[in-house]
Amino acid sequence: MIEVEHLSKSYGPHAAIEDVFFTVEPGEILGFLGPNGAGKTTTMRILSGYLPASSGTARVAGYDVHTQSMAVRQRIGYLPENPPLYNEMTVLGYLHFVAQIKGVSAGDRRQRVDLAIQQCSLETETQTLIGRLSKGFRQRVGLAQAIVHNPPVIILDEPTVGLDPRQIMEVRKLIKGLAGNHTIILSTHILPEVSMTCDRVAIINHGKIVATDAPDTLMEELIGRLGYAVEVGGMSQLLTQKLMAISGVREVTVEEIPDSAHTRLQITCHGETEPGSAIANAIIKSGCQLHEMRRTRATLEDVFLELTTEEEPLPIADTAIDKADADDPELIVDP
Amino acid sequence: MTLLANLFAIFRKELQSYFLSPLAYVVGGLFWLLSGIVFVYLLLSPNGIIQEVAIGEQSGIPMPPVDVAYIFLLRYLGIIGSLTSFVVPLLSMGLYAEERKNGTLELLATSPLTNWVVALGKLLGVLMFYITLLIPMLILELVAFAAADPPVPPAVPLLAHLGLILLAAALLSLGMFLSSLTHSNIIAAILTFVVVLLLAIMDLVGRQLGQPFEGAIAQISLIKHYENYVQGIFDSSSLFVFASYIFLGIFLTAQSIEILRFQRS
Repeated sequence: MIEVEHLSKSYGPHAAIEDVFFTVEPGEILGFLGPNGAGKTTTMRILSGYLPASSGTARVAGYDVHTQSMAVRQRIGYLPENPPLYNEMTVLGYLHFVAQIKGVSAGDRRQRVDLAIQQCSLETETQTLIGRLSKGFRQRVGLAQAIVHNPPVIILDEPTVGLDPRQIMEVRKLIKGLAGNHTIILSTHILPEVSMTCDRVAIINHGKIVATDAPDTLMEELIGRLGYAVEVGGMSQLLTQKLMAISGVREVTVEEIPDSAHTRLQITCHGETEPGSAIANAIIKSGCQLHEMRRTRATLEDVFLELTTEEEPLPIADTAIDKADADDPELIVDP
Repeated sequence: MTLLANLFAIFRKELQSYFLSPLAYVVGGLFWLLSGIVFVYLLLSPNGIIQEVAIGEQSGIPMPPVDVAYIFLLRYLGIIGSLTSFVVPLLSMGLYAEERKNGTLELLATSPLTNWVVALGKLLGVLMFYITLLIPMLILELVAFAAADPPVPPAVPLLAHLGLILLAAALLSLGMFLSSLTHSNIIAAILTFVVVLLLAIMDLVGRQLGQPFEGAIAQISLIKHYENYVQGIFDSSSLFVFASYIFLGIFLTAQSIEILRFQRS
């Protein structure tokens, strides 16, 4: 339904995206994941026909977004990063206007608008001026605007930004409900959103696609990377060598803990091996003190960080810790 | 068919936005007030045209008969024309600058609409709002001309007001283009005002230079062609010049929006 090949866009010497490629099958939800400034919005704008690409092709429903822009525009619903709202209009008036310029016939207009209002839970606000709406409602009107003409392809740039946790859940439910009849591509920098709503995920960083896969597969790739977080006293170079010699151990990273004689070790293992007792033995035998030892497991967050971070792979975070000190409300809300 | 439907949608939205905008009411109110004051001053004040003719008749010196209604129309619409050039920048400033500021241009640009339809729809919307500003003025004129003796042939004021609307349309079209260049209403208004001023200066300078410059500048001067219409001269070349300015404004707007999409960061 959406085919993107070798898509590049540069502003002067600066390349916003480079050789971006992905496809989205009909009825699928693709999550477009990347840190801020990675090129998500640029890609979305090219797909919507708002920006031309510097090179490469993008096709939506078989039409080239650049040369057959009008055909593409008739088939997409697009929610930009900032919802494009007229503050002086009422919600109802605005949606009627959008339906009209998107080419919904006069006969169907009322029904389509009513449906969009219902889908986005805007029933109570139909006569409110958009300028008086809260951020969450504005976002929902933006979403209603993108689906009011029942387009086969829906492009959503950060659809849940600015919503409260409850609204986020509702919007995700709505997006999931739209899949099947619609092909959806949504961008986000929030990880749980992808694993919860999307069939596939494309991770973009510095304008390049670094991975495309189902969220589960992406996680499996790293889930093999079970590991242990260990805190020892009396660290020596010898210990690292001994640990590396244990079968199943893939990598050991050493980090001094400031203002302490202890050292933190992050030991990454090959999948399905359980060298925990061997590791503990090796530490004790080499005369070091074992202060702490925990098993760690990869989350999508780790995959994301690993793929988008330029330094050496970060130590794999402990899932338990992850949940406890998560300052991202996302993680608290989502099961 | 869809083209017309789209045009109408943009037109209606634009017109509606003026009726919902406090600024438009302030501008409209001032325009009504000033046009009313000028009307009363020109017609009824001690320096007004009726008094002038009365004094002329009383002096006993034989004078050619004066068509009071016609002279009044000339003077009145001359001033309304100037007033219009002050009002236009305030009406046209938000046409695109507001859309750019609010990000709604992204909605229009990703909808199945051409830049031309959007620009034309917007121009028609703001022009319609301007025409509604003329309604009280027209009522005053109707009352005054109904009392005129000999009666005023309706073609003369009709043509004069058509000229006024064409003048406004040409200036609004240029203002719309300037509005498409910026995010800021204020900058758009100032730019438009400068352009209106330059057009007036060009007209003045042309009149001072003498032939052949005078004739050449008169050909492209909006003010000169407006005067033709106000005097009751229907000249198709004047219509052509107005149409050219209107087309130029719409064309430049469509191009500027297209370019904007190519360089937008």
